[in-house]
Amino acid sequence: MGRMRTLAYAVALCMATAGAAMAEKPFEGVELKMLGIGDTSVTRLAPIVGEFEALTGAKVQIDMFPYPGLVDKIIIEASSDSPSYQLLWVDSPWVGMLGEAGALVDLTDLARRDAADIKLDDIIPIQLQENTWQGQLLAFPASGMTWLNQYRADLFENPGEQAAFKAKYGYDLAAPTTWDQYRDIAEFFTRKKGENAGGKPLENDLYGASQSYSRVQGAITHDYFPFMRSFGGDYWDPQTGLCAMTGEPHIKAAEYMKSLIPFNPPDYLGLMWDIQSGYMERGEAAQAAYWSVRSVRLTNPAEARLAEIGKAGFAANPTDGGKPEPTYTGALSFAINAKVSDKEKEAAWAFIKWSTSEDLMRRFATEGNGVSQFRKAILADPDLQQKYPYYKVLLDSQANAKRRIFHPFYQDVEETFGVELNKFMAGETATAAEALTTACNAVNSRLKMFPVETRLRWINDVPAKVLAD
Amino acid sequence: MAYQATRNRRIFVLFLLPVVAVLFLTTIYPMLYAGWLSFRNYDLAKPFIPRIFVGWANYAEILSSGTFLHALVTTLKLMAMTLSIQLVLGVGIALLVTQRLPGMGVARTLLLIPMMISPVIVGLVWLFLYFPELGYLNYFLSLVGLSGVGWITTTTWALWAIAIADIWQWTPFIMMGTAAALHSLSPEPYEAAMIDGNSRWDVFWRVTLPQLKPVLISLMFLRAIDAFKIYDIIFVLTKGGPGDSTEVLSMFIYRESFTFWRMGMGAAASFVSLAIITVLVTFFFKSLNRDRSALE
Repeated sequence: MGRMRTLAYAVALCMATAGAAMAEKPFEGVELKMLGIGDTSVTRLAPIVGEFEALTGAKVQIDMFPYPGLVDKIIIEASSDSPSYQLLWVDSPWVGMLGEAGALVDLTDLARRDAADIKLDDIIPIQLQENTWQGQLLAFPASGMTWLNQYRADLFENPGEQAAFKAKYGYDLAAPTTWDQYRDIAEFFTRKKGENAGGKPLENDLYGASQSYSRVQGAITHDYFPFMRSFGGDYWDPQTGLCAMTGEPHIKAAEYMKSLIPFNPPDYLGLMWDIQSGYMERGEAAQAAYWSVRSVRLTNPAEARLAEIGKAGFAANPTDGGKPEPTYTGALSFAINAKVSDKEKEAAWAFIKWSTSEDLMRRFATEGNGVSQFRKAILADPDLQQKYPYYKVLLDSQANAKRRIFHPFYQDVEETFGVELNKFMAGETATAAEALTTACNAVNSRLKMFPVETRLRWINDVPAKVLAD
Repeated sequence: MAYQATRNRRIFVLFLLPVVAVLFLTTIYPMLYAGWLSFRNYDLAKPFIPRIFVGWANYAEILSSGTFLHALVTTLKLMAMTLSIQLVLGVGIALLVTQRLPGMGVARTLLLIPMMISPVIVGLVWLFLYFPELGYLNYFLSLVGLSGVGWITTTTWALWAIAIADIWQWTPFIMMGTAAALHSLSPEPYEAAMIDGNSRWDVFWRVTLPQLKPVLISLMFLRAIDAFKIYDIIFVLTKGGPGDSTEVLSMFIYRESFTFWRMGMGAAASFVSLAIITVLVTFFFKSLNRDRSALE
């Protein structure tokens, strides 16, 4: 009898323990796969997904691919009736494309429900807006970007360089506030191997600037569009919803980019983001107007030689004539495939909450892997600002910011403008006006099949419902 | 007897069925589907666009497109560049490796290696060689005091860079076919030509080359079809750029199908491409038959 009682207690204890474990690990047995990018917003996370499994029971596998071609995989995944990936990495301009196709779960209600948990108030509003389509939150920021100015602070602060610059251009050498200054600085620092820079002979050629001019995956448009906006241009005609990138600011921006070519590396037509940022990371470019997604690397000696041989500086990007223009932002985000089951959806949302939490972001930053941030608390932290000088620029410049393009025809725009602008930069097309008109006409020939009401709806940036309360 | 014949025919059909089924599933059905697709407005990324029947509209758009015409011209230009050089080099190397010289057997085997490598790998190998900052070619040029060339990043060189990679891979094919043909040539005409006191060049030009002509036409014809479809190397090296300097027909089809997601347009462009290849094949076959008749 006594043995029976002991056995009964043991069984009851086992069941209770198992029950508790089940309660602690609500997603035991769930397997999630993420279609992601091989860049900072994911590479920091991938090695530690086991921690999420230990917490929730859900097993996560992250497949990482280069940016070129990633959107193609996501579109194929989204159009499949039996998708392989529950979690999708999304660059914010894709939101309209994927949103109009109904490919992503609307996260508005989930974010509202868990607002305290995810510290919704701590997220820079434009970073949430970046991820909305028609007011619905379709992705959650995992990394928040701005297009900022990165420069060789060690050269800019060198007294010899400062004196020589002032003698040549008549004003002080500092982070530029106008594009004319940016070009002057680019010209000033373009030097050959063996010449002096910062009082030391150069081991390699030094280029005054490093911009993306490649047509691959429309890389050139990722620089051209911010240039164009900083010149006061916009994408669409607000009356017709058609492409309007043929005006004066658009032409000036394209011509300005072309005027920077003599100060860029000779292989400028092949400059993709990784190659472009590589010049800064090796200390072979004096400055680059570039996305903050890789800024963290510039201060990390394990990832960039510049951290050893010099010093990176950061500033908001110049504008045309120094006129105030909104900062050009972007978000690299995580989304949930619309075709997942309810259980997978909850598990995927739990993963998004965990992977974008302030705790994890702070941990990355403390460990030296601070991803480009979207959380105010982290960007405003004085210790972290000291460690990552670009955090202050990110925080300050987003007080006046405007989101990137978010149109359902984004990929058509990116590819068409990518090719036409690349041809202009290569000298195949005579004028910027001709290149831009060709690109706009190609995009409009497709858009014109839709009624004007639809076109206007597509360009209307409806405020995020999640921010409405 | 009749029963046996019927039975044999049934077994024959039975054995053929798997092959026919595979052929149907992998070739005929996709082709019929592509044909159906080419008459539709089918955008994979935009399900909100009605996938309706549009008749010949896709074909009309392609044939009136300047981009398509440019891609066709670039394809023909690349074909002319690669085929002419492959022919000269292939025949030259074949003449060399068929000489009774030491090491020719090993040389022949080594020369065949590029042909056996997947075109994507060939593209990657050449990418390492061409890469602007870190590539071996520019490094070697710098060793002899020459400045680097933007092999795949300038419109002047990009098409040549593609052509060089293709020539490197496929010259052995011409060499192999020509060498086999050289071995099979009858010795009598040579003996007669030598007795007549002809020079080696005359013998090559008047005896060897005419005999090789049908084989060379066949080899060129096979290479022309391949060159017309070239895709992998371009995708790896330039993706059609810089500008549109290496945008060939296959890249045009790829962009329409998998960048703009206009599957109907992509399918229509594929059929236009197929029609052009068919014209080429017919032309080559006619030329081959004319030569055979002349020889007979």
